[in-house]
Amino acid sequence: MNPHGVVERPGPFCTIQDLGRRSGRRAGLAPGGAMDQRACLWANRLLENDPAAAALEITLGGFALRFAVETVVAVTGAGCAAALDGVEAGSWRTVRVRPGQLLRLGYGSSGMRAYLAFPGGLDVTTAFGSASAVVRDGLPGLLGRCLRAGEPLRWHAPGHRCPVRRLPGELIPPVPGSLTIPLVTGYEWAEFSRDDRTRLLDAAWTLDPASDRTASCLAGPAMTSGPRVLDSTPLVDGTVQVTGDGLPLVFMRDRPTIGGYAKLGSVDPIALDDLAQARPGTPVRFVRAEPDVLRGALARRESFFGIGDEG
Amino acid sequence: MITFPGPVSALVTLPVPADREGIARVLGLERVARDALPDVRVKIPAFNRLLIEGSPHSWDPVDVEARLSAAAKECLLEVPDIEPGDPVSLPVCYDPELAPDLEDLSASAELGVAEVARLHSRTTYVVLATGFAPGFAYLGDVDPRIAMPRLRTPRRRVETGSVGIADRRTGVYPAAGPGGWRLVGRVPPALFEDPVERIARFRPGGTVEFRMIDRRAYEAECG
Repeated sequence: MNPHGVVERPGPFCTIQDLGRRSGRRAGLAPGGAMDQRACLWANRLLENDPAAAALEITLGGFALRFAVETVVAVTGAGCAAALDGVEAGSWRTVRVRPGQLLRLGYGSSGMRAYLAFPGGLDVTTAFGSASAVVRDGLPGLLGRCLRAGEPLRWHAPGHRCPVRRLPGELIPPVPGSLTIPLVTGYEWAEFSRDDRTRLLDAAWTLDPASDRTASCLAGPAMTSGPRVLDSTPLVDGTVQVTGDGLPLVFMRDRPTIGGYAKLGSVDPIALDDLAQARPGTPVRFVRAEPDVLRGALARRESFFGIGDEG
Repeated sequence: MITFPGPVSALVTLPVPADREGIARVLGLERVARDALPDVRVKIPAFNRLLIEGSPHSWDPVDVEARLSAAAKECLLEVPDIEPGDPVSLPVCYDPELAPDLEDLSASAELGVAEVARLHSRTTYVVLATGFAPGFAYLGDVDPRIAMPRLRTPRRRVETGSVGIADRRTGVYPAAGPGGWRLVGRVPPALFEDPVERIARFRPGGTVEFRMIDRRAYEAECG
């Protein structure tokens, strides 16, 4: 089968992602999925795709794709500089391409991850209900690794016609210079000392360069009262865990399903999108949030993007 | 105890030990919760806990708490009858050359190596939890005569297929890496080559049996 396009340069960390998987969770599989789900959802939305269609997550640019067919793609994500045959193409929009054209995504001025969606979604293998690659889990093929130079790609509806669409500026999520992350306290929160609880909420944390798809690590004043946890406990999205060095981390998409360190609660699931685009050194603060407020925002997002209960 | 670790999740901790009876009660709770709660998306049983995640459209914490605590009471009154399904059967070679802690553990248990192997392989274990690494399962309960705490300092590298003991739990390392459990046997690493099989082999509440094999059979399985 002829490819619809070939990746000439994948950049430092380019993987196939969708909304992640629920079905393997019981067996210990990471949720996986696009780090910035909002950007990935918009990319698919611009092409009238299913919200769970598989797309490319391109970390820190350095990406080039040569097309073999006439088609249309969508580029979203913070700060990526897209260019078609050397001509700036912008972002948060659909781009029409002809056979032979080269789409490049450079390292933009802000953000970490760009999303490239294809009409009908990428035609790739799935496992446990998702095409998301989790390198840590070691699933076979593209489910367990980054794309390589020369990787052939096919998508389901290359001939799909849709008008050139640009997301209106007021809908494009900004990449803030600093983050204030809503936190639902929970797990061992009450067992941490008053000082440590105050420290988590008062300190100016900064995003550590060790952050990756598994966790956003934070640098700042170490906590001292980490309660002992006897058995690993099931984790939710965005769990805030304090490891041996006394520093908090926020679990991201490739997180484990259970964790054995003390935990302070979990962050707003929607705030994970902002953390996914924050560069190392970004100042981060936590602020206590009411679960019902976060729940309402989640429900609105799911309704807007048409996300269902499957998966 | 029921807590809410996130905006659409509830974590139930049953006041029972985290052993095979504990996970049986948790699985019973899971079964009841499935029928009692609407739109459950994720259920993760682990040891004596159950995590439930629901839909933001229908999640009502007051209602969830009421239904889960009623279900928990039921599961605490009697151990629910859980159908474990077919056991996962794994061949294990108990050879000190493949299992660096086997002789130490035998000595401290004041048992022969063969007796440790016999005691370890005669139990049908229950998967108490999965996690730590993809495809790792915490199995219990180990015969008290061969229970031993984990190493004070973990090894930098444990080989694929190594069978370890930590207190009343045992498990098989699905990939090479650091680890602190006492290594008493080895499953042929060929059984961990297929990634899907490796990751999806164990489910909480499932059962696992170890079949003792000799060194020749082990080498044959290694190919």
